[in-house]
Amino acid sequence: MSVAVVEGWVEEPLRQFVEDARVLLALLLQPSGQVLAQHGFSRSVDVMSACALAAAIHASSAELGRQLDGRPFAVLHHAGRSRQIFLAPVQTTRGALVCLAVFDAVTSLGLVQLYFAELQARLAKAAAAAAPDAKGPVLAGNFEFELNRNLAVLFGRG
Amino acid sequence: MSAVSPFAELLASLVRQRGVLGSMVVSESDGIVVDSNLQIGLRGPAVAALAASLYRKARLSAEAAGFGECAFLQLEAERGRVCAVGRNDLVLVAVAEPRANVGLIRVEMLRAVGAFG
Repeated sequence: MSVAVVEGWVEEPLRQFVEDARVLLALLLQPSGQVLAQHGFSRSVDVMSACALAAAIHASSAELGRQLDGRPFAVLHHAGRSRQIFLAPVQTTRGALVCLAVFDAVTSLGLVQLYFAELQARLAKAAAAAAPDAKGPVLAGNFEFELNRNLAVLFGRG
Repeated sequence: MSAVSPFAELLASLVRQRGVLGSMVVSESDGIVVDSNLQIGLRGPAVAALAASLYRKARLSAEAAGFGECAFLQLEAERGRVCAVGRNDLVLVAVAEPRANVGLIRVEMLRAVGAFG
């Protein structure tokens, strides 16, 4: 299973998730839309679009949860005719992440949920063991530069 | 509106069998628990997702081999067994101890799966 990453500590947990859950596409991103890792995408423009949409959906559903339930909705699942998406937050010591997975009938929502729980645990452990983040938070001023840099790393142009 | 699911009684009758630790009705395509009757400590959602996947693969294998429908699936492990029967995208799963009487469980499950339509 090929997984491309910007930060090494997410590679093994995501690779294991992709292998176990048998998802077609997977993305790990920051809630701002900055990509950290991907599996299954062949074009950087698709990763960029998917990250922007996933970040927007996550922000919208979180705010809807705050309005309706007093706290953000966490997991979102949307079933299409042949493909389904699973979008869920992951808390780590290196900040919050969002995981987007696209899957079909080869696997199931139950299996994706099961292995996502393992992904959360592995990422939390890997984040705690990884070296501190020297870059600091991505700010609006350098968002595009960072995004392009990350996409270049993912697609071998870094 | 009743809060009791239509599967509550069949699940209860299954766990009354000696050695049965839990029973669940699971969506075969989603691997999600529809209803369950489990002993404390049993990881219901995990067992449900994996058992539904196993049953689905067994059903597809039986069909591919030209053997027709998968009637009854039993997985024997070191410290217990998982049994599954299915119909109409629903799978009835029973988790049992090794000492459980599989013959009785099988009869009960095949009878109960009739409720799936």
